[in-house]
Amino acid sequence: MRRATTMPVFAPGWRPRWGSECLILAAGGVYFLAAAPFIPGLASWENLGNLLSNLLPLLVIAVGQTLVLIAGGIDLSATAIMAVTSVAGAMVMRGVPGHGPVAALAGVGVMLGMGTAVGWGNGFAITRLRLPAFMVTLTSMMFFSGLALWLTQSQKINGLPAAFNALGGNLAVELILTTAVVGLTAWGLGRLLAGRWLYAVGHNPRAALISGVPVGPVVMAAYAFSGGAAALGAVLLTGRGETGDPVLGRYLMLDVIGAAVLGGASFFGGRGGVGGTAAGVLFIKLVDNSLSLQGCSHFTIMMVKGGLILAAALADGGRRRLAGEDQGGRA
Amino acid sequence: MKTYLRYAFAALLAGLALVGCGQSQPPAAPPGADRPLTFGVSFETLQTEYWIAGMDAIKAELSRRNIKLLAAIADGDANRQYEQVRNFITRKVDGIILVPKDAKTCLPMIKAAHTAGIPIVLFNRPCDPIDGFTPVAVVADNVALTRETVASLVERAQVGGGRHRAMVILGDLGDVNAVGRRDGFEAALKGREAVVEVVARVPSEWNQEKAQAGVVNALQAHPDIDFIFTSSDFLLPSIVSALKAAGKYHRTGETGHVWLAGFDGDATAYRLLTEGYLDATGVQDVYFEARQTVEAVLDLRAGKSLPGTILDPGFVISQANLQERAPRMWGAQVKKAP
Repeated sequence: MRRATTMPVFAPGWRPRWGSECLILAAGGVYFLAAAPFIPGLASWENLGNLLSNLLPLLVIAVGQTLVLIAGGIDLSATAIMAVTSVAGAMVMRGVPGHGPVAALAGVGVMLGMGTAVGWGNGFAITRLRLPAFMVTLTSMMFFSGLALWLTQSQKINGLPAAFNALGGNLAVELILTTAVVGLTAWGLGRLLAGRWLYAVGHNPRAALISGVPVGPVVMAAYAFSGGAAALGAVLLTGRGETGDPVLGRYLMLDVIGAAVLGGASFFGGRGGVGGTAAGVLFIKLVDNSLSLQGCSHFTIMMVKGGLILAAALADGGRRRLAGEDQGGRA
Repeated sequence: MKTYLRYAFAALLAGLALVGCGQSQPPAAPPGADRPLTFGVSFETLQTEYWIAGMDAIKAELSRRNIKLLAAIADGDANRQYEQVRNFITRKVDGIILVPKDAKTCLPMIKAAHTAGIPIVLFNRPCDPIDGFTPVAVVADNVALTRETVASLVERAQVGGGRHRAMVILGDLGDVNAVGRRDGFEAALKGREAVVEVVARVPSEWNQEKAQAGVVNALQAHPDIDFIFTSSDFLLPSIVSALKAAGKYHRTGETGHVWLAGFDGDATAYRLLTEGYLDATGVQDVYFEARQTVEAVLDLRAGKSLPGTILDPGFVISQANLQERAPRMWGAQVKKAP
C-alpha cells in the first residue's frame, strides 16, 4: 500500500474546510433547528437513532458511487447489484445446512464477492472495451435486475439465518460496519497514492495517463468498489428486511446520486469526497424523516426533497462562484 | 492515518451513544388515557382504485370515531415502509394499520410494532406467521369469492354449449391475495374441464403493461380464447385494449362475445357491467374491511383476543343482479370519468 507523500492536489477524501460538505451540513443543521419545534419527535433520541439507522445503508452505497463519480464515471447498476446480490446471498444461505453463522458468512461472502465482480466487469467493459459508462452500467442494471427476478420468479426469499439478520437489524453492528468502510475509504482517498490517482483520472484522464497513472486499473477499481459497496448496502437492507428481495433498492438510485452530488461530487469527475457525501446523505434522510414524521404523503416528500436538493445545489453553485472555484469538469 | 481513525472513532462513539439513548425512552401513554387516539396508516401503494377507496374508507372510519390519522405511502418500497412504521413508533401512535407490500418483507415491521407495544392490523393483505404467531389481518376470502365468481361465469357460458378456451391473468404470486385468486380460479374449473379448457395463464405481477403484453401474446397464440378471468379489475383496461385490437370486444349476447370476469369491484368494472361487456366480478366490501380493521386495532388495544384472519365474504355482482347489489359495490360509489 503506497501512501501519498504530500497532501492531495485535488479535493481530499475528508478534510474540514469551507466546501460543499460544510454548506450542506449547515443547511441540514438550520433545517433541523427550524423544524424540531414543529415536528413532534424529530429531536427525540429514539428518532435520531432511527435517522442514523436509515442513513447507514444509503451512506455505504453513496460512498461507492462517489468514487465512481470522482473517476469521471457513473454507476447506474448499483441498485441492480443490490437486488441480485440480495437474492443470490439468500439462496446460498437457504442452501447451507444449519442456517447458522456459517451460512451467514457464506451468504455475506457471496454477496460481497458477486457485487465486486459485477462492478469490476463494468469497469473492464468501460476501460478495455472503451464503451461509455452510462451505456455499460445501464445495460448492467437491466441485465442484473432481470436476473434477480428470473432467479426467484419474483418471489421473496425469507427464513434467513438469525446471524445474518442481525447485520441489518442491529444498529450497533450496522454502525460499526459502515464506519469501518466509510472511514477507511476517506482515509484512502485522502492519504493513499491510489486516492490521488483517482482524482487525477477524473480530472483529466489523458494528463493522468501521460503522468504515469494506471488509468484503466484505477477506473476498474472504482467500479469494483462501487459494486462491493452496493453489495454491502444489500447485506444491511436484506438483513433488516430478513428477506432476499429481487427488487431491493429499486427506488434508491436518485437518493444515491443526489447525496453524492449534494456533497460536492461532479458528474464531470475529479471532484467529491466521503465527507461531502456523508453530509448529502444526512441532509436527504433528515428531510425524508422529518416530512414523514409530519405525516406528509410520499408524493409531497418527493417534491419537497427534489426542491430542496435543487436549492442546495444552486446555493452551492453560488458559493463556488463567490469563492472563485472551478465550476467543475472537462468538456 | 491517526486523524482519520479519530474521526471514525468519534463517529462510532456518537452513534453507539445514540443506540444506547434510543433504548431509554419513556413508555407510551397507557391505553385508555384521556386523549384523542392517533393511528398510523401505511399503504404499500395507492396505484389502484381499490387502495384509494380503501384509504378513503379508513379515513372516514377513523374520522367517524374521532381518531387522528397519520398517513404514509411507501410507493412499492418495502424498506421505505419499514422506516415509516418506525416513524409511527417514534410518534408513539396508538395503533398501526398496514397494507404490506407482500407477505414476507412486513415481518420486521410487525415485530417492531409488537416490541413497542403498539397494536398492528393488516388491511386486505395478510402476511406469513411469525414464530408460530399469526398477525391479525382483515382480508377478502379470495379463494371462495373467486371460485364463486368463476363458477357463475362457467354456468352462464355453458348455456350456449361447446367447449370454451380460457385465459387467466394472474397477479403477483408473492402476494397471498393473488395466490388465493389463482387457487379459486383453478378450484372453480376443477371437474369442468369438458366445458372450459385453460390455454393461457398470463403473469402480470400487478403491472398493467405486463398484463397487456401477455394478453396480446395469448390472443395471438390462441385466437379462439373466449373466456377470461382477471385477478384484479384494475387490469381490465389492458384486457379491453387487447380485445379491441383483436376484434373480440363485444357485448354479452353479441356474436363473438368473450366471457369476462374480474375481482375487486372497481369503477371500471361497474362501467363495463352497465355497458354489457363484463359478465361478473367478485366485489370486496371495502367499507366492511375498513370498519373491521379499525375495530380490530381498538380491540387489540383493549387487550381482546382476535383470530389471525378476519374474513370479508364479499359478493358476486353480475349484469343480472347489478341494480340490486350496486349500492354495496364500492366501484359504483366512486365517481370516475369514462
